[in-house]
Amino acid sequence: MDRASFWRSKTIRDGVLQAAFLAALIGLVLTAVLTARANLAAQGLTSGFDFLWKSTGWEMNFTLLHSERDDPYWYFLLLGLMNTLFMGTIGLAGASVIGLVVGLMRSGRNPAARLLGTLYIELFRNLPLIVQLFFWYALANALPNPRQAIEFAGAIISSRGIYVPGLTVTSGAVALAVAALLIGAALAIWIATARRFRRMERQRQRGAALMAFGLAALVAVIALVTGHDSTQPWTTFPAVDGLRVSGGFRIQPEFYCLAIAIMTYGGAYIGEIVRGGFKAVGRGQMEASRALGLSNWQVFTQVQMPLAFRAMLPILINQYVWLIKATTLGIAVGFSDFFMVIASSINHSGQTIEFISILVGGFLFINFSLAAILNRLNRAIALKGHQTGGAA
Amino acid sequence: MTLATDFRPRHSRLYRLRRAYFASPLTGLVTLLSVAILAWLAWIVLDWTVLQATFDADANQAICAERAGACWSVIANRWRIILFGLYPLDEQWRAGVACAVVALVIVLSCLPLMWRFSRLALVWVLGTAVFYTLMRGGIFGLVPVNEQQWGGLPLTLFIFVATGILGMPLAIGLALMRRSELPVIARVSGWIIDTIRSLPLLAILFTCAIVLPFMLPGFLIGEKLYRVIFGAALFFAAYQAEIIRGGFQGIPRGQEEAAKALGLGYWQRMGKVVLPQAFRLALPATINQFVIAFMETSLVVVVGFMELLAASNTAFRTGEWRFAYIEVYVFISAIYFAFVFGLSRYGAWLEARMSAGQRKD
Amino acid sequence: MDLNTDAIAISDLHKYYGRFHALQGINLTIRKGEKVVVCGPSGSGKSTLIRCINQLEEHDAGDIRVFGTLLDDNVGSIDEIRREVGMVFQHFNLFPHMTVLENCTLAPTLVRKISRAEAEKTAMRFLEKVRIPDQAHKFPGQLSGGQQQRVAIARALCMQPHILLFDEPTSALDPEMIAEVLDVMVSLATEGMTMVCVTHEMGFARKVADRVIFMDKGEIVEEAPPEEFFSAPKNERSKLFLAQVLGH
Ligand SMILES: Nc1ncnc2c1ncn2[C@@H]1O[C@H](COP(=O)(O)OP(=O)(O)O)[C@@H](O)[C@H]1O
Ligand SMILES: [Mg+2]
Repeated sequence: MDRASFWRSKTIRDGVLQAAFLAALIGLVLTAVLTARANLAAQGLTSGFDFLWKSTGWEMNFTLLHSERDDPYWYFLLLGLMNTLFMGTIGLAGASVIGLVVGLMRSGRNPAARLLGTLYIELFRNLPLIVQLFFWYALANALPNPRQAIEFAGAIISSRGIYVPGLTVTSGAVALAVAALLIGAALAIWIATARRFRRMERQRQRGAALMAFGLAALVAVIALVTGHDSTQPWTTFPAVDGLRVSGGFRIQPEFYCLAIAIMTYGGAYIGEIVRGGFKAVGRGQMEASRALGLSNWQVFTQVQMPLAFRAMLPILINQYVWLIKATTLGIAVGFSDFFMVIASSINHSGQTIEFISILVGGFLFINFSLAAILNRLNRAIALKGHQTGGAA
Repeated sequence: MTLATDFRPRHSRLYRLRRAYFASPLTGLVTLLSVAILAWLAWIVLDWTVLQATFDADANQAICAERAGACWSVIANRWRIILFGLYPLDEQWRAGVACAVVALVIVLSCLPLMWRFSRLALVWVLGTAVFYTLMRGGIFGLVPVNEQQWGGLPLTLFIFVATGILGMPLAIGLALMRRSELPVIARVSGWIIDTIRSLPLLAILFTCAIVLPFMLPGFLIGEKLYRVIFGAALFFAAYQAEIIRGGFQGIPRGQEEAAKALGLGYWQRMGKVVLPQAFRLALPATINQFVIAFMETSLVVVVGFMELLAASNTAFRTGEWRFAYIEVYVFISAIYFAFVFGLSRYGAWLEARMSAGQRKD
Repeated sequence: MDLNTDAIAISDLHKYYGRFHALQGINLTIRKGEKVVVCGPSGSGKSTLIRCINQLEEHDAGDIRVFGTLLDDNVGSIDEIRREVGMVFQHFNLFPHMTVLENCTLAPTLVRKISRAEAEKTAMRFLEKVRIPDQAHKFPGQLSGGQQQRVAIARALCMQPHILLFDEPTSALDPEMIAEVLDVMVSLATEGMTMVCVTHEMGFARKVADRVIFMDKGEIVEEAPPEEFFSAPKNERSKLFLAQVLGH
């Protein structure tokens, strides 16, 4: 084969092109890794993941479990991941509730409520999330200092945070209890709804679900009791104590500002998704259910809601993934989420490549598991078979 | 339905009002509650921004505190910092003109007349060049101003425009690679897109600004601003590539086959047949992506840039105006809102126009 | 490329879709200027066969030669053949974002590098030939199906191809529009164009075809002049097919 026809061969061209593409990518990654190694070596650091067991030497300002300066990196990373998931769960739940309310207001027939919903959505959706976060944070910092703190329904609101009555139990025990309750609830819902248990008698199915939840509740109570310091009373109430507030449970401004920002912003987006979902419900189905004599409420809960939920779930999944990523904004106000732990770790340890790969791995894990769970839910509830009709 | 309404007796306005607002006790309650909230909000806003506000440019905290409303004096005193950051005072007219140029570029690209690839590319590249010359200076007798001194609105707009200019070709490239017939390229670019999309933008910006210098050979490091813009463009491109892919999926297979049958080569098929149609289909989503990209420029505050948000933070964090943070945030929110709301309204209008056009065919 | 040899020469052509054997050893030679009608039940591989000729589908085994040029791994041969072979599709596949005229001038200006003015002149000539010069500045979406298909024919002609492939050009059309498209095809045939038509329009086949090819299950089952094929089909499957098509 002469040279001209060698290059004109499609097989060879394709092969060379793909090989070149791969080589360029590998070259890029290799350059980055080697340069980073050289830089590390210049600073007297070794690459590899051994540092994970070294102690960090700094503190996290928000943790769900007990932590101190000497804890190793891996533990901080774990705490950061927990913070991200915790913030994500709260943010998603709050955003969903707000979204449902404004979405319903926007799709209802009441013009006054519609206007209110529209105002909400246009305001919160059209301003950058970080601007909103800074605003909330500035507002939180402008609250009176503990001495002049506002007392409201047993809580003390000050620039240092919001103090609420709490239990005197270690945070690990609370985390365990909450986890047990969540798992129990999920289990109960699964037993009560899953197809696999359809054949059970209604009574027994309900009993089994209750039993699962009861068991979880028992685990939770045991966790709380073991985590409780028996020398102290069970509950603690906040009280102004000179220049500071003593007792109670402190919710830091960093935490609640980020939560509020994510909830309100996410709520505006989810509101639009909810409205889209209701719009997608076919007129025919609504008319048919009215013709069958269902009341407005029954039409709403039995027909409109389930159909709308199915229509909006796929878009909702993307929005949830987006919102989880938004928890990284915590670094702007100092909430120690997964990303902030990584950023501080890089600053303190200089192990760039390692932490960047942990960061990428962590977010791939979070996103793919969230997407996998939601996609599974979507597949489980998706309307089976070929659909005709729907919204015209 | 429409027929039936024509024969229905016309109701009095009162009747219709009652039907809309007080059909049942529940809607009545909702109405009352909504109206009450609306009225309350309207009153608070009006009261704070106008009725009780201080408009005197010379007022200070003590004077403002006498009235319960906004203290707009902070804007009068601080608008230069908010809008232009630390840009040299005497040269700020240049920053102002540069902003106007970018605004013009954006308005121009919204005109359907301009929707040719060549025209759009021309306008954006030319606009960026003029913007850069004005801001950077160093020629035409303009005093040089280093990128580190850029700030405020021009910096926000520059990051936005540069992200778009860099990100769009990147997005097209990624989207074409993902639908390539060559399995290795298609697969790997798919992974790249999915990975970037699952990372938070903030993490990417942080990596580019702070970590990348450790990982690049010296000659590739460059100015921090451009590294950050590169990161933002990469993120934009990953999302936009998926939007374009959605456009590809809306094009019937026959289109590309017909182009092949006519003897068009790969780039001719893409450039003349596939991409124009994909972009038309993806237009509303694309505009939406630009809106999001604009809002996300404010994230660079985290890696230490004086863009609009950071500049306004400094505007009130220095001594005397510490109390007037709400006014400053309201001011920049108005700027962001005007831009974002305008663009997304435009997108909605375009979408409506396009779907109307489709029905006619 | 040698215009004095057979227009198309296919030998022992095989094509697989995954594990599905869509073409099972096709042998077919079409002389220059010949008009061949391909028919057969749906799914028999008619489209696959003619799409292999301009390589919209890659074949897995066997030789295809177009005017002597072998369609192989060489990138140049595919480009060369697509320039000389025009195709008309069932669903027209006009480019909806271009006017009729732009549809017709696109390939000549890009592929043949003809000047715009000249390409437009040629395009108008062919649009007149298909009897819609007045629609030149409309968009495809504004035309009827029959008009669109005639534009598609004009678009293919503008490349001045030596061979035209038709894949069921009338089956997406309403009955009253079929005639206008067939008329154009008949007039092309009388001018000596080499044509390979997948169609079930038996009247057209009778009128212009030199040969009718009947395919079933990826094979050529029968090959005969139209009179013979319609009056005395030899194969059982052709008989059954003809009974169904003509019976309606
Ligand atoms: N892209 C494809 N992938 C898989 N199978 C295909 C594809 N195209 C065609 N086929 C199959 O090949 C067979 C022949 O198809 P085709 O040539 O389109 O038939 P005809 O045009 O005669 O109706 C059919 O069974 C069809 O299902
Ligand atoms: Mg076919």
